[in-house]
Amino acid sequence: MDSTSTIKDFEAAIAELETIVRKLEEGDLPLEKSLELYERGVQLSRFCHTRLEEAEKRIEILNERGDLRPAGAIFSKDDDRK
Amino acid sequence: MSSLIDLPFDEPEPSAASKPAKDPEVRERRRVVFSVSDITAGIRGLLETEYAEVWVEGEISNCRLWNTGHLYFTLKDPGAQLKAVMFKSQVRTLKFKPEDGLHVIVRGRLSVYDPKGEYQIVCDQVEPHGLGALQLAFDQLKRRLQSEGLFDGARKRPLPSFPRKIGIVTSLDGAAIRDIIKVLGRRYPNAHIVIRPTRVQGEGAAADIARGLNDIVTLPGIDVVIVGRGGGSVEDLWAFNEEIVARAIVASPVPVISAVGHEVDVTIADFAADVRAPTPSAAAEIVVARKEDFCTHIERLGERLTGAVRGSIARLDSRVHQLNRRPGFAGWSARLALRGRHCAETTHALRHAARAGINKRLRVYQNLRLQLEQFDLRRRLGTVRARLVRVDGTLLAAALHRRHDAERRLNSCAARLDSLSPLAVLGRGYAVVWDESRTHVIRRAVEVKPGDRVRVTLSEGELNCDVTDD
Repeated sequence: MDSTSTIKDFEAAIAELETIVRKLEEGDLPLEKSLELYERGVQLSRFCHTRLEEAEKRIEILNERGDLRPAGAIFSKDDDRK
Repeated sequence: MSSLIDLPFDEPEPSAASKPAKDPEVRERRRVVFSVSDITAGIRGLLETEYAEVWVEGEISNCRLWNTGHLYFTLKDPGAQLKAVMFKSQVRTLKFKPEDGLHVIVRGRLSVYDPKGEYQIVCDQVEPHGLGALQLAFDQLKRRLQSEGLFDGARKRPLPSFPRKIGIVTSLDGAAIRDIIKVLGRRYPNAHIVIRPTRVQGEGAAADIARGLNDIVTLPGIDVVIVGRGGGSVEDLWAFNEEIVARAIVASPVPVISAVGHEVDVTIADFAADVRAPTPSAAAEIVVARKEDFCTHIERLGERLTGAVRGSIARLDSRVHQLNRRPGFAGWSARLALRGRHCAETTHALRHAARAGINKRLRVYQNLRLQLEQFDLRRRLGTVRARLVRVDGTLLAAALHRRHDAERRLNSCAARLDSLSPLAVLGRGYAVVWDESRTHVIRRAVEVKPGDRVRVTLSEGELNCDVTDD
């Protein structure tokens, strides 16, 4: 749990995961260290998956006054027709 | 065209042959003198009526835009030159910038600039010869922005690996927005889309698009912006060839995908954008592809992670096996078992020895304890105590005896003393006379004199008496 909160953002998570995979693939690590890295890697991978899924479909309109409002009504009907 | 230039000079030629035959006097009579102004005005009138609207083709040279906003240049071809001017109000309508060396066709009227006596063409339209004005404008802007470095590859930013919030700058009524949403809806269902509606053609569209771009990139979390519109004529797409749009794209802090018209339509916005998409749908596909690549990348990283750890465990495992088979480890487990047994035996012996030592010391202790008991201190103490009691009893008896004896002797002495007491006589009526201080018994009357006081003890009580000389 704790260590999940240390993941800064998506890009950082990916970068760290890539580094871990590279290190592991190079081998030559003591078993303890590999398992430690593996654990962290799984955490990062899970974090990324969660982020991928968590966003929900949303369409908004930004008008000239800088107001944001949902635009669902404008497009969903057309989508259905098609 | 050539007739315009040739005309004034051609006219005298036919009469040149007959010149010597003419009478000088006849010529003198016909002489009419104009002032310079009059003749100039006359020429201007001729030119302005004759050439009120002409098209002239030539190459621009000496092109200068004055502070007043008017444009002056010379049109030339290999044989002649024609001065030209374009006034401010017309200059503003030019899409491209007239410059030296440009081959153009101008439309205008001929006129004369009286103070200098120069005739010139006053242009209301200039268009490049060969290619259209728009194309020229396009080329010129492209060249200029290119030389500024706006299109440099180094300036282009990579698209975000995982575009979550997608900004779109286009018209709400166009085909572009529908195409984009259709693609995203199908292949990226949880995309977050923010649309900034703008006009995309007509007067002011370019400024509108530029403002839309500036607005949308200020929203927090926008990862990428798509700017564009559906297909149309070159004029319809023109807003995307305007400098203001190109500069807004370059100024955007987040990567911009341009998506204008169809595959064949290339705009200045496309050069300025970080990524050019051939169509709006393609722009959406590019975003989706980034997202899908990213998902695949994560999947693959996960697989590699597990694979790498399995691999490293397998490697360590096989190393253990290999080491185990080395000669140095031959009979290793048997030797270990032997050591184990030795260890167990030694432990047993140690325990045995320890127990024997304890038992021996226990026996010594018990012996000592027995001896101690035989010494029997308690009984000796009893004997001493009995003797003490006996001595005590004797002492008490002696003390009691002595006390009775003393009492008896005291009683007999008291009885004898009683019988000897002079006071006993008083009971028979005698009295004793004392001096006043009751220290001396008066035995003879001479011992007192009148006025003395004496005390008389009776058998019961005492009297104080005064002596008189009676």
